[in-house]
Amino acid sequence: MRKKLFLYGLYGLAGLLITAALAFKIFQPVQVVPRIRLSPGFILIDQNGRSLTNEDLRGKFVLYNFTYTRCPDPCAGMNATIQEIQRRLGEANLGDIEMVFVTISFDPDYDTPERLAAYAQSLNADPQQWIFATTQDKALLKTIIGAGFEAYYEPDGEGGFRFDPKFVLVDGWGVIRGEYRYQTQVPDTERILRHIRVLAEEVHNSKGAASLAYEAAHYFLCYTP
Amino acid sequence: MSTKTSMHIDPYERNWMIVSIVLLLGFATAIAVAAFAFGIQVPSPEQRVDPRTVAESGPWAEPGLRELSPGKYEAYILARTWLFQPREITVPVGSKVTFYVTSADVQHGFKLQNTNLNVQVIPGQVSKLTITFDEPGDYNYICTEYCGNGHAAMFGTVHVTP
Repeated sequence: MRKKLFLYGLYGLAGLLITAALAFKIFQPVQVVPRIRLSPGFILIDQNGRSLTNEDLRGKFVLYNFTYTRCPDPCAGMNATIQEIQRRLGEANLGDIEMVFVTISFDPDYDTPERLAAYAQSLNADPQQWIFATTQDKALLKTIIGAGFEAYYEPDGEGGFRFDPKFVLVDGWGVIRGEYRYQTQVPDTERILRHIRVLAEEVHNSKGAASLAYEAAHYFLCYTP
Repeated sequence: MSTKTSMHIDPYERNWMIVSIVLLLGFATAIAVAAFAFGIQVPSPEQRVDPRTVAESGPWAEPGLRELSPGKYEAYILARTWLFQPREITVPVGSKVTFYVTSADVQHGFKLQNTNLNVQVIPGQVSKLTITFDEPGDYNYICTEYCGNGHAAMFGTVHVTP
């Protein structure tokens, strides 16, 4: 009799576990954006001529993009995306988390700090929130942007560049959480804002026992695009 | 008591049941070890794109190889009836290449021979695969899903130079 009770208990427990796992998967009470890889370390010079390192940005969410100030159309599109995200940042419920935008130029020959400052001004960029930076060391620049952030650029031999526009979202621990390489069916602005919101939720709620649920989500849930 | 009320199971049947359960446990263990110890991941759908416009702008408008930094590459591959764009890619040995493959029309396959790279190419979906080429030689990528008359001729080559 006791053996039978024990067996029923075991079945019950197994059933409960399976139901819980299915509910976790189907209803997704917690959502996460993937931890893709570490973002690269760097030292750059910003538009005010001061140094900017990845360590200065610890604890903040950072959205990087890569461009050059003489660039025609595609860059205007990227700037418009950043400006729209800034306007609608309230939707992301960031709370006390700071959000910073960093635009790195891969054209240091032309983009001196003065030119970057003028460019920032022409975009009405808030210097506290939107930083423009580059470095004269071209090999270092290639390592940071190409190897680290995996954004492609190459001089086209006519003073311009061939490149693929790209955004990279990095969390407060310096881990890359989102890469936006090409136009998808959901516009970049919507995807990035959604990912910032999901990331902020994780930072706010992933404490104590709930952090285990977030870890489980990292392992077992598919990432919503 | 319970032993008397339990139903009779033929020894052969019992053995088959045990074997099949052990087999299932073996598979589950293999998957867990592959995923957590070796970090093997199935090719994941990277993103969704519009197959009607994917070849008009962005990286698949000029598909091909892009050098991110020395030894690190991205390759945007567009599969369409019945060819891969580009048909040829050349990289030095030791290169790490990430393929972004999508289709502009129907469903195709992308298999890089003599490697473990193999993925379905579904219109509207981007597949991402990463490989490091440690051995020089020619690696063909072939279409592995029947996509029409020219299917058999649909292939391209990665030249890995020493």
